[in-house]
Amino acid sequence: MNQQKTPLRGVQQRRARGSSEQAWLARGRRRFPHLFSRIGPVTLTVCSVLLMSLMAILYLYQQGQAVTTNQQVQALRNRQAALQRQNADLVNQIATEQSPGYVAAFAIRMGLVPANAQRVQVTNNP
Amino acid sequence: MNSALRRARNRQMIIFLLISSGMLVLLSRLYYWQVLQSHSGYNLAQQANQEHTQDIPLDALRGLIYDSQGHILATDVVRDDVYVEPHQFAVDHPANAQGDLNNLILALHQALPQVSIANLQGDFQKDAGAIRVAVRVDPGQSLTLRAMRLSDVFLYPRTWRIYPAGTLASQIMGYVMQSDTESKGVYGLEGQYNHLLSGQPGRSMVETDLQGNPLTVGVDDQQAPVNGTNLTLTIDSNVEYMVESNLARQVQEMQAQSGAVVVLNAKTGAVVAMAGYPTYDPNEYGRAYAATGCLHTEQVYFNPALFCAYEPGSTMKAVTMAAALDQGLITPDVTLQDRGCISYSDAPVVCNWQNMVYDTESMTQVLIHSANVGASYVAHDILGVDRYYPYLTRFGFGQLTGLDDGPEATGFYRQPCQNGWSPCSQNWTMSDLTRQAFGQSIVATPLQMAMVYQTIANDGVMMQPYLVASTSDNGKVIVTQPIVKRRVISQHAAQLLTQMLTQVAVHGAANTAQVPGYSTALKTGTATTQGISTTQTEASVAGFIPASNPQFVILVKLDRPQRDIYGSTAAAPLWGTIAQQLMWDYAIPPDLAE
Repeated sequence: MNQQKTPLRGVQQRRARGSSEQAWLARGRRRFPHLFSRIGPVTLTVCSVLLMSLMAILYLYQQGQAVTTNQQVQALRNRQAALQRQNADLVNQIATEQSPGYVAAFAIRMGLVPANAQRVQVTNNP
Repeated sequence: MNSALRRARNRQMIIFLLISSGMLVLLSRLYYWQVLQSHSGYNLAQQANQEHTQDIPLDALRGLIYDSQGHILATDVVRDDVYVEPHQFAVDHPANAQGDLNNLILALHQALPQVSIANLQGDFQKDAGAIRVAVRVDPGQSLTLRAMRLSDVFLYPRTWRIYPAGTLASQIMGYVMQSDTESKGVYGLEGQYNHLLSGQPGRSMVETDLQGNPLTVGVDDQQAPVNGTNLTLTIDSNVEYMVESNLARQVQEMQAQSGAVVVLNAKTGAVVAMAGYPTYDPNEYGRAYAATGCLHTEQVYFNPALFCAYEPGSTMKAVTMAAALDQGLITPDVTLQDRGCISYSDAPVVCNWQNMVYDTESMTQVLIHSANVGASYVAHDILGVDRYYPYLTRFGFGQLTGLDDGPEATGFYRQPCQNGWSPCSQNWTMSDLTRQAFGQSIVATPLQMAMVYQTIANDGVMMQPYLVASTSDNGKVIVTQPIVKRRVISQHAAQLLTQMLTQVAVHGAANTAQVPGYSTALKTGTATTQGISTTQTEASVAGFIPASNPQFVILVKLDRPQRDIYGSTAAAPLWGTIAQQLMWDYAIPPDLAE
């Protein structure tokens, strides 16, 4: 019994709901023309200008942010290039100062002299 | 419809048609520019893209070169070129052009004293957009110029190859020839491994602002560069420096024309040091353009250890003995009668140096005396053609060693056209055989001779010589494993020959090559060249140390020494110095009792 009554109740509910939606839309259609008819052309123009100005400001703000970010990125790239360059120079400097010729010349400047092979004793200690 | 209304409608229609016609014209024009001329004709789309997009090449960093201890032998630095813009200067300074130009030139000259005022004035008179006024300026000068912010002057950075150790191992390394458009390794490792060292350049397609700065928005099509492969060599910088400096000193002391030294790892064939004199600085390779080495036959850029083939002289006697020992035809104690000269029915007489007579002498004594008679007797009477020449091939004469260091000479010797031997010479005579036995009528490179002694030191096994210990391709490391080239002689023959060469070191003339506490196995050579004075020699010593457990093979060669002309007096002291230093540097324990 219940199984037969339930679909009937559902159809009735949908019909009832459908009729109420149609009524609400009809009211809306009546209400909006009424709303726009009450906004004068000046108000509409001012609102439009304000809206467009707001959009323009947002756009300009976004562009400004992009430009600022771009400048920051560019500055970072320049900094990176400068650091890479500095790193290469330091690597070169270290390699130069580790080279045997540089060390030998430095040792000579310090007063060191080459060892006399005849005076060097090599011991075979385990 | 009344006439007034009709006229009004006609006017409206006319206005509508006029506006429509105007719109149609505008639309047609729009279609013409936006569609027809966009990708053909003026190709506006491409022109517009070129205005605000740039295809920026991204240079790949050239691979570094390290020695076996991790010291950098070749690296890259960035240096600026300085450009001026004459056209733009004229546009920017319409009012007081000459006065502003004088101030600019004066400021530039103060920052770059190497560029004369006259040159700068000439450059600004040229009809050009940009002119380079200085190349590769010092970092300090770059900083000064950047701080000065001169108008119509800009700096353009470029990467340059630098060799921090200067002349060290320059003939091994080669250099990088750099032009405005490309960098290319030439000679040595830079040339041989250019494809690995140079890497793959990338590119970046980006939108740019008016100043050409890349924008973070818009098109950004980037292909990253792949940096070059790093090389780690078998060369030890400290040994290389010691060898080079001692070679230079010895060449100058002996008033020789040139010289070469090769130091090999006796077990692996790895090149520990390889030096030539005269040499050059790869940082300023252009200055050495006219310099020559190898008896003034080659430019100084060539590695004489690979390219300067010479008659090896008596160091070749070890090869003759090796062939006979390996085939069991002699023992170290077999004797012959040495009358100072030996006659052959099919070859000219062969005599010892100054016709020295040794009477009964063993094969060991043949090497100790460095007797030509004994060597030619072994080659002619004991070995013969069929049993001698295969050993020249097996020891690698007349062939490339295959060292991974650019071009090398093969050397040359004559052999008869029989048994399918190639290459052969129709002009070959038995005189070639009897002379090749003691190192004449054959030319070999210093590396080839060093490999002969490496074979003897390594129990008869020849290794493949190599310079690159490992490569590192952006994290992918490949380590070179020592490669056996071939067995040349038996282990027994190699050990017998080592004993004989050890006796040469003790009892021979090259006592200055001895190292206290260590046994050495070596042979000297003093080669003369037919057609010139006998005092113009190639003095050389080849051998290894310690003889009981060979670690290093050393070959020293001096070209045309004047003060002392013999291998035992001109080259042997240098051999001893290098051997001594190697024992100290590598902390190899002495193998002889005090």
